[in-house]
Amino acid sequence: MIHPTVFLKLLLTLTVLLTSFSTAAHHSFAAQYDINKPIILVGKVTKVEWTNPHARIYIDVLDEAGNTLNWNIELGSPNFLKRAGWSRNDLKIADEVTINGSMARSGANMANASSIILKGGRQVFGRNAADNF
Amino acid sequence: MAFSKSLFRNGNQMKKALLIFFVFISNFSMAQDADAVSAPRLPSGTPDFNGLWSGGGPIGDIAGGLMPGEAMVLTEEYAGIKARRLANEDPEANCLPTGVPRIAPYPWRIVQAPAYGPATHLYFLFEGNVHSFRQIFMDGREHPSAEELDPSWYGHSIGWWEGDTLVVDSVGFNDLTWFDFLGNPHSTELHTIERYTRLDNDTLENITTIIDPLAYRQPFTIRYEARLQPADWDLMEYVCNENNQDVEHIEGPARLF
Repeated sequence: MIHPTVFLKLLLTLTVLLTSFSTAAHHSFAAQYDINKPIILVGKVTKVEWTNPHARIYIDVLDEAGNTLNWNIELGSPNFLKRAGWSRNDLKIADEVTINGSMARSGANMANASSIILKGGRQVFGRNAADNF
Repeated sequence: MAFSKSLFRNGNQMKKALLIFFVFISNFSMAQDADAVSAPRLPSGTPDFNGLWSGGGPIGDIAGGLMPGEAMVLTEEYAGIKARRLANEDPEANCLPTGVPRIAPYPWRIVQAPAYGPATHLYFLFEGNVHSFRQIFMDGREHPSAEELDPSWYGHSIGWWEGDTLVVDSVGFNDLTWFDFLGNPHSTELHTIERYTRLDNDTLENITTIIDPLAYRQPFTIRYEARLQPADWDLMEYVCNENNQDVEHIEGPARLF
């Protein structure tokens, strides 16, 4: 069994690698989203846009007051998602999903997803990635 | 044991994490071992750059590629232009081409033509930021005169081999592209000299000198590496303008963080 300190190093390496992915998009991530405003959203998919420059999903989320708000969730480009193992059929209307992401600076109900837990429990990366820069 | 159990609910998850880790590590060690698989060569004798690449130029901050001892010193006028730039004006956010030497975070393909003899043309085919191409004339021609050259997004490029290094000399740019997310600017006087060397099968080095006396007080040189992408990857369609909702939500000055 692997030693705990080796595990810590492993996790640290993975974290650094995954964090470095977050800056890659066709726009400056920081000018649109606030990495210091993480958000977890659980909701039902109302619309899927398998489009460029970003695939988007729209989900209905209940807020604390019991109101349903529709959130616009930005993913990577369809090309990135496909190369990362996604299929456009992975998300269907009415699927319940969990979004891990960063909120828009504008205050709109928008977020950029770093990862998504799909219906069925599979977790996939949401953001665009560049292999080397 | 107890520690690892608390992190991963079962052995399979741990194995998966380890597998991902070792795939990353093996990629790095391949890149570091330049002799692992040497760069291929075409029947004509020149290095073979054909393939699908990623990276090889600045994305976030061009200064990150500065070679030792190099410095970017903006002229007063262009320091002002940079300072006034807003993030939502970035041509890339607006689905316009990257120009040179900026690279979009999408794969691109080099095609050497013809394939059966010394190349007369090289094409860089970009998946993003818009579907577009650079055309590099390898047939010995010169740049047209400044009067004949209409400013363009990728400029006019001529290339030649110096040993195993491809040298690409480009002029005739418009001044609409940014070098990076920070809005580092250039003028229509931009002149780039790119030197591409395939260090090994997976690594294409790009050392680019930027000469732009209107925007920078002295030339400067940057270095980036492009990585060969998996053999079963192809260029894919990427029509940036079909649903670009970003611009209206991008706020504040041009910035990286």
